[in-house]
Amino acid sequence: MDEKTRTRVGGPEDPREGLEAVVALRRTLEALEAAQVENAFIAGWSWARIAEVLGVSKQAVHKKHAKRIRGRYPGESPRRKGRDQ
Amino acid sequence: MIFTRFTDRSRKSVEAALGEARMLGHDSLGDEDLVLGILRADEGLAAEALTSLGVTLEGAREESEEMLADSLSSIGISLEEVRREAGDAFEMRIPEHRRIPLSPRAKKALVEARKEMRRLGDNYLGTEHVLLGILGNEDGTAVRMLVRLGVVPETLEERLFELRGRAAG
Repeated sequence: MDEKTRTRVGGPEDPREGLEAVVALRRTLEALEAAQVENAFIAGWSWARIAEVLGVSKQAVHKKHAKRIRGRYPGESPRRKGRDQ
Repeated sequence: MIFTRFTDRSRKSVEAALGEARMLGHDSLGDEDLVLGILRADEGLAAEALTSLGVTLEGAREESEEMLADSLSSIGISLEEVRREAGDAFEMRIPEHRRIPLSPRAKKALVEARKEMRRLGDNYLGTEHVLLGILGNEDGTAVRMLVRLGVVPETLEERLFELRGRAAG
């Protein structure tokens, strides 16, 4: 691949800048996912429904988010009995 | 063990760095977090040197956040807009149950810190050695953050030795 093609296709010209953008995006994505799952939880969505829209298993969503969100909203949504102790 | 010979102060700084990394959403502890930790613990020669050059914990935190926002905008994403869209639930903080590993750069800085300790003939690993270890990596995030804060790495190093001389003398 010649230099020209690369800069045209690849976004930032400095590889470090490009890679750092990936890191920034990953961190932001994590925060965004946490926020949107929390928003859905507050809106009364079940873990199953949240998982379905995210396109992952219910277990995965639960494992990643339940502890944090439950900790934040103790006593909320008792129908969502889950796997955490 | 990586913390052998660390003084209470330098150990505290690294612990504080972990807190900073968690708060800022850094999924691994970077060398810039080590600087933040030094400032947060606010003990020892390194904190004194940084403070004397006008670096504050608040300022460094903001700069670190600014660097993330700049990275995102380099690919056309506005952190502000993401924040606005996601609402109040949005925060960069990493949940307590998630472990934050040391980044390769931070690890390297701590390894270099030990070399600095030996080079200087010291038998303790203080915050000054940690800071020297960090400054050894010109390509690191910490050095770039400090430069953005108006610090000349060489000046910081000189200040560190000045303070060291004073403490010894």
